Amino acid sequence: MISRDEIISQTSSLPQIPAPVARIMTYLGKPDADLNTVASFIEYDPGLTVNVLRMANSSFFGGGGAITTVKDALFRLGMRRIVQMVIASGVAPNARGPVSGYGLARGELLRFSIAIGVAAELVAAKTGIAAPDYTFTAGLLSNIGKVVMGKFLEMDPGPVLSLAAKENVSFEQAERTLFGIDHAELGAILLKRWELPEPIVTCVRWHLDPCSAPAQDVALDLVHVGRVLATMAGIGQGVDGLSYHVCQASFDRLKLTPEAATASMEGMVSGLEEIEAILGQV
Amino acid sequence: MKNRITVSISDMKISRKRGELLITHSLGSCLGLSAWDAVAGVGGLIHCLLPRASSPDVKNPFMYVNLGVPRMIRKMVSMGCTKGSMVFKAAGCGRMLLIQNQFDTGAQNLATLTALFAKNGVKLAAEDVGGSIPRTMSLDVETGLVTISSQGKEWEI
Repeated sequence: MISRDEIISQTSSLPQIPAPVARIMTYLGKPDADLNTVASFIEYDPGLTVNVLRMANSSFFGGGGAITTVKDALFRLGMRRIVQMVIASGVAPNARGPVSGYGLARGELLRFSIAIGVAAELVAAKTGIAAPDYTFTAGLLSNIGKVVMGKFLEMDPGPVLSLAAKENVSFEQAERTLFGIDHAELGAILLKRWELPEPIVTCVRWHLDPCSAPAQDVALDLVHVGRVLATMAGIGQGVDGLSYHVCQASFDRLKLTPEAATASMEGMVSGLEEIEAILGQV
Repeated sequence: MKNRITVSISDMKISRKRGELLITHSLGSCLGLSAWDAVAGVGGLIHCLLPRASSPDVKNPFMYVNLGVPRMIRKMVSMGCTKGSMVFKAAGCGRMLLIQNQFDTGAQNLATLTALFAKNGVKLAAEDVGGSIPRTMSLDVETGLVTISSQGKEWEI
């Protein structure tokens, strides 16, 4: 059986975060970072520029069209929001391919990931909560650990599924029992290695089990609930299916009503198409 | 080789072509309902996301059990199917672990279908529902055979 340390060491076999994304994040760490320089970094990369403009113009992100320059996008949506979009469009390609260990065909993991981000944002809108800027991105990246476990290591899900069914535990609990690590923790380790912002890393680490998180965070609750809604909708499901715990405390903290959950699921199906059309091509 | 017609989430397809297979993937909490009439040679498959629409005036009725299922049946009746010869089979309606009842969409989807069928004196011929497995459901339009596949296994219902 492969050990926890061997699994963690495999995170280095994944492609590194794209250079423009890394450059922008490094720059933003400087105390005197300014908007014009961030815009020029984005414009230096044609692919990033196109994606940022398309996302800024998407109705889902409230752009409403007519944004033609990165500077306009930064001005309209705010620098922090744009940076999240840069991270999203830079990292999303890693989730695009098939993930054999989880029984996911090409595009399915990315579709599931986008659905989580979209649902998290919609839950915030339906409950009147101001979602932190990193909510969508944290949702989008929450499954990145599956790429390592299921694509590079090609884990056989059979023993995990058998153990989960036999012991009546969640899929990630079975992963921890067999491998000493689950895909949420592995994803967080990978994102930390990529030097992504700490709130995103923490969100990804605990998104399957916010009830056990060391600290509460509204984005974490939103991503967890978004994941529950996307899973129930069956979007991009792998062999693990619905075999995960729901943390009711997240629902309670968000004061989510069944009506708001239903409305979020309705919106998720249509919002998903728009964002997938943008990120699915990167 | 059968021609596979995919039914996506909140979608419905009807066919009378003998070589066609209606198939829907990734049933989580969603309801998959197949209907087949051997006499008319017509099959239908619907994939409903939610139990009930908040109003009857919605963009996509197939998203909801209470609107989509009657619409599929009416359409099939207009194609020559009869209540007496139609065979209905249900799948999906799964649930996540520890989910509270008021958010358990799978149970609500099944309850809405059960109430709808009870009201109209219709019975399910078979069902493969609940649990936490993902399901793919297919209906062979020629034979009426309904197959469920999940986690590398396949069985008929």
